Amino acid sequence: MKKTLALLLAVAMMLALVPAVLAEDLEPITVTVFRGDPGDQPTEDNKIYKLIEEEFGIKFEFEFLAGDLDETLGLKIAGGVYPDLFDGGNSAEMLENADVLIDMLPYISEEKTPNLYKHIYTENRIAQLLDDDGHLHIIPNYGINYNGQVQNAPSGPQFFLQKQVIEFNDYVVPTTLNEYFDLIERFIAANPVNADGTPYTGFAILCEDWRHFCLINPVQHLMGRPNDGEVIVDVNTDAYTTTTFINQPYAKDYYKKLNEEFNKGIISRDTFVMNYDQYIAALSNGTVLGMFDQAWDFGGATAALNDAGMYANTFIGMPLVYDESYGYGVIEEHYVNGTVMNKDRGFGISVTCEDPERMIMFFEELLSDRWQIILQWGIEGEDYYVENGRFLMTDEQYANLNNSEWKRANKANTIWESCPKKQGLMDDGNAWAPGDQAEIYFGQMNAYDIDFYAKLGVRVPGDLFDMTLELAPYGEAWQIDKTPIEIDYEDFNNIQDKRLPELIMAAPADFDALWDAFVEEINPSCEVYSAFMQAEVLKLVEQALGN
Amino acid sequence: MTAISVKPKRKSKKRDLAFPIVNTIILCLIMIITLYPVINTIAYSLDDGYDALRGGITVYPRKLSFEAYSNMLKDPAIYQAAHISGSKTIIITLLNLFFTSMLAFALSRREYIFRKFITTVLVLTMYVNAGLIPNYLLIQNVLKLGNSYAVYIIPSMFSCFNMIVIRTYICGLPEALVESARIDGASDITAFFKIILPLCLPVLATVALFVAVGSWNSWFDTKLYNGGKKDLHSLQYLLNMKLATTNNSSNAAQTSVDALASQAQSKTTPITVRCAITVVSAAPILIIYPFLQRYFVTGMALGSVKG
Amino acid sequence: MTVNARILPKRKKSLWNIIVQQKWLIIMSVPVLLYVLLFNYAPMWGWITAFQDYKPKDGLMNSDWVGIKNFSWLFSRPEFLDVLRNTLAMSIINLVFGTVSAIVLAVLLNEVTKTGFKRVVQTVTYLPHFLSMVIVVSMAQNIFSSNGVINDFIGKIQDLLIKIGLMENKPMPVFWLGEKKIFWWLQGVINVWKEVGWGTIIYISAMTSIDPCLYEAASIDGAGRFKRILHVTLPGIKSTFVILLIMNIGHLLEAGFEIQYLMENSQVQDYSRTIDVFVMHYGISKMQYGIASAAGMFKSVVAIILLFGANFIASKLGEDSLI
Repeated sequence: MKKTLALLLAVAMMLALVPAVLAEDLEPITVTVFRGDPGDQPTEDNKIYKLIEEEFGIKFEFEFLAGDLDETLGLKIAGGVYPDLFDGGNSAEMLENADVLIDMLPYISEEKTPNLYKHIYTENRIAQLLDDDGHLHIIPNYGINYNGQVQNAPSGPQFFLQKQVIEFNDYVVPTTLNEYFDLIERFIAANPVNADGTPYTGFAILCEDWRHFCLINPVQHLMGRPNDGEVIVDVNTDAYTTTTFINQPYAKDYYKKLNEEFNKGIISRDTFVMNYDQYIAALSNGTVLGMFDQAWDFGGATAALNDAGMYANTFIGMPLVYDESYGYGVIEEHYVNGTVMNKDRGFGISVTCEDPERMIMFFEELLSDRWQIILQWGIEGEDYYVENGRFLMTDEQYANLNNSEWKRANKANTIWESCPKKQGLMDDGNAWAPGDQAEIYFGQMNAYDIDFYAKLGVRVPGDLFDMTLELAPYGEAWQIDKTPIEIDYEDFNNIQDKRLPELIMAAPADFDALWDAFVEEINPSCEVYSAFMQAEVLKLVEQALGN
Repeated sequence: MTAISVKPKRKSKKRDLAFPIVNTIILCLIMIITLYPVINTIAYSLDDGYDALRGGITVYPRKLSFEAYSNMLKDPAIYQAAHISGSKTIIITLLNLFFTSMLAFALSRREYIFRKFITTVLVLTMYVNAGLIPNYLLIQNVLKLGNSYAVYIIPSMFSCFNMIVIRTYICGLPEALVESARIDGASDITAFFKIILPLCLPVLATVALFVAVGSWNSWFDTKLYNGGKKDLHSLQYLLNMKLATTNNSSNAAQTSVDALASQAQSKTTPITVRCAITVVSAAPILIIYPFLQRYFVTGMALGSVKG
Repeated sequence: MTVNARILPKRKKSLWNIIVQQKWLIIMSVPVLLYVLLFNYAPMWGWITAFQDYKPKDGLMNSDWVGIKNFSWLFSRPEFLDVLRNTLAMSIINLVFGTVSAIVLAVLLNEVTKTGFKRVVQTVTYLPHFLSMVIVVSMAQNIFSSNGVINDFIGKIQDLLIKIGLMENKPMPVFWLGEKKIFWWLQGVINVWKEVGWGTIIYISAMTSIDPCLYEAASIDGAGRFKRILHVTLPGIKSTFVILLIMNIGHLLEAGFEIQYLMENSQVQDYSRTIDVFVMHYGISKMQYGIASAAGMFKSVVAIILLFGANFIASKLGEDSLI
């Protein structure tokens, strides 16, 4: 018995030593990495990179994005000097179109790389990841969940209101557009100014540059659709009819409503000349009552309000739709979608990389449970602790995760952000991401919020939303690469940016005529755009359902 | 006769009293207007990150905090980068002054036969630009200067605009100076170094300032050619990166789909970091300026000849 | 024949003589000439992308040739004339405002006798040059917003006027940032604010070459301060002024990029877009290098025509010329 135990122990130890042995076999190499995002260089003695070097014999030399991404990638492509691991950020399509990245598919198999195989072949994910020639260039860095998805607070687009406005309404959250503006009007009538005597702004619209989604995206959601960018896709028929919505009568309803609110003084004309800094400043002052936005877009303002203890001025999101009076029947909200894979985002291996197989094996190992825990949670005892099988962090340990100096020395962020990773839940029910772990999520919540959500009768903000998490077979249409029609796309956006504010600020009597002129002006671009999107959506549906 | 000559004298005396007062008032007003943005920037850089997000800071910080500075200066890479930036600025300034002023002298000589041709060729470079990609390919692929210190120096050894400035100045000097040197049998090069160069100190100081500021502030060359070589990063490049990452982490939730509204973030925000960076990178130039200012005195050039 | 035969060798010889005589000037200038040919002229073959549908992966040699399509696209855009008008208008405003303010400030500074005060003013006024445009613009946007300092001030004056009965009712506050017609002037004011001190440096250094005797002589002749400025100071910096003017006229299509890009909003867009901003939107950020090259080439050609035109006029007027 003792002998068998000793033998077992010996075998176990041998197995544990395998990675170390592997590293001895492999010649140490330096891998050059480019990430299409700005970033901090890790410290020389970063503990995770040290571990990686010991185990895999790999040292990294990082380059981060400085300045404009497209310009940088264009130059790198033209110059033909590529890093080994190449993350093209939000323009990775450029790398794929320029044949900079190798096809990873031949290196991935059930026997040699079981983790990666499972990662991309489960649920037929692979069908969506291949390009037209059947090549796999990039394994998505986000959006592949294990054991379900954790959505405490939806971070996508939604309408927001200050929590004090909900308090004012006796903790009843509006569900329709009319209720929403009605509530804002009533609140302002009762409280025209805040404690300092500054007047409240009812509704703010940010329309600076690419952030103009705050101005042009709401209509699809009011019609009960998730975020498909600038189109509405009819998922009820096999034709997946794709139309732009901005030139439709149901868009007119929204802008007419905004026009009314503008003329009532709920929307200020300053909103259309605001830049992002001024928008955040207005939100941080607690004088803006509502807006349409995405939670991450104003994270700074939320932090500033919390920091100043102005909890009642922080925002809560809600899914609004048109009520029946608009004549579109009963609309069911669909703000939150099933997770989409972050397609074409993450590391690719460049054609100049000398040992692509070793890179694949590196990704494979990083995708093991052990390494995923190291990358996401850290080292047990130092960065987190385990109690009754639950992964937990002290307040200090959790605060470290937001301390950039600490992270430079103790996290392998650059590698982690671009590598394939596990999200959702571990097999034992712990969350992969520390912020998703229920104990940590509620532990970090302030007393005001705990009380507020209790009075609201919800556990987490996400409970206000329909959490069925359905995803159409094409994913989310905003992800589609618009390079082939980019000039038309720019025109399409330009007309909206210019005309929609004019429409909102028009005299009510002029609105209808101006709207007709707008539709006429934008129709040609809409036709080009919707035809293109229609074809792309069908292609994606075919890929997803084809096999 | 005497009566006439007295009258204007009195008048001008009166005016001479009034003018300095008015002038001082005007200059003080201009100073206040131009000082405001600077003080405002400093005030923001010293304000608490979240408080600064709120805006509305004017001339003093609402909630004093040195976090934006300490965050920046804690990073040891900053010092290596400052070393690179400082050394390249000095080398470029010296080389550029040398070549530019030498050429300016040659092209100021009316008898020089290639004067018109060379001037035209040079002046056109200020108006025609091949674009980014061809320039990049020349330096990266043809000259193979990527990942090297030399890439900071070699492409910036001459500037046409500054050459014109110096040339105009030299042309404004009395012709007789060079002529007299020539009569003494001095060659062009001796005339340049011995006579013209010392006279050009004011304009050389000006041009040195232009070149030094340009070189100190440049970060694009690092981005293009030395981004992957962290020992060669320049200060401005690093500061730019710091700003970009602060910008990014203010939308931190973007990366982790479900992250909490960034509650425990380190308390720097893009606004304070941007302002602190401005102060840190402008400071060295401000220290140099008073030394150069000594040369900006009317008549100094000629005074030195006579004296 | 005989005459020519006799003259030709003589001329050749004298050319050679001149070269020998000017050997130092040649040694001093030719290396820089070669340097410029390599770094500024050699990359010019990149201009062929103006006639291509350039794709970085295909390179300059293998991209598709499209003839003048990029140019015709550019010139046939409905907003092209607006963009051209905005560029010229803002650049003229900036040139006039910038030059006049710099010269005025330089002259005022030159009249200051106390060196200490003079240096302080100089240092302070040139400081804003070091602020990034992002900071300056965001400051300006706060100052000029509908409830900013400027409107506050105007509002107070209006209140006063109403009180003393000079005005009947208060007009709407000016919407500085969203008014098309104001944009050109606003960016001009901001540019002057940022660059006036820096602009004086070059004139102040030019003033150093003025012979102090001239001032003395003028004083003896009974010239007052304004006469001295008019007849001594200004002529002293005239050649610098003329040269800079010629150079800037060549740059008339460069109205700047950053300030217009940062201050653009949908309300003023028709008046704020310059060629560079337009190319940014449609060319560079869309990977349309061909369009960007075509725009660059167009700008260069116009610049060269303007430059030689200005230079020609200046030399005809007997002023210093650039070339």
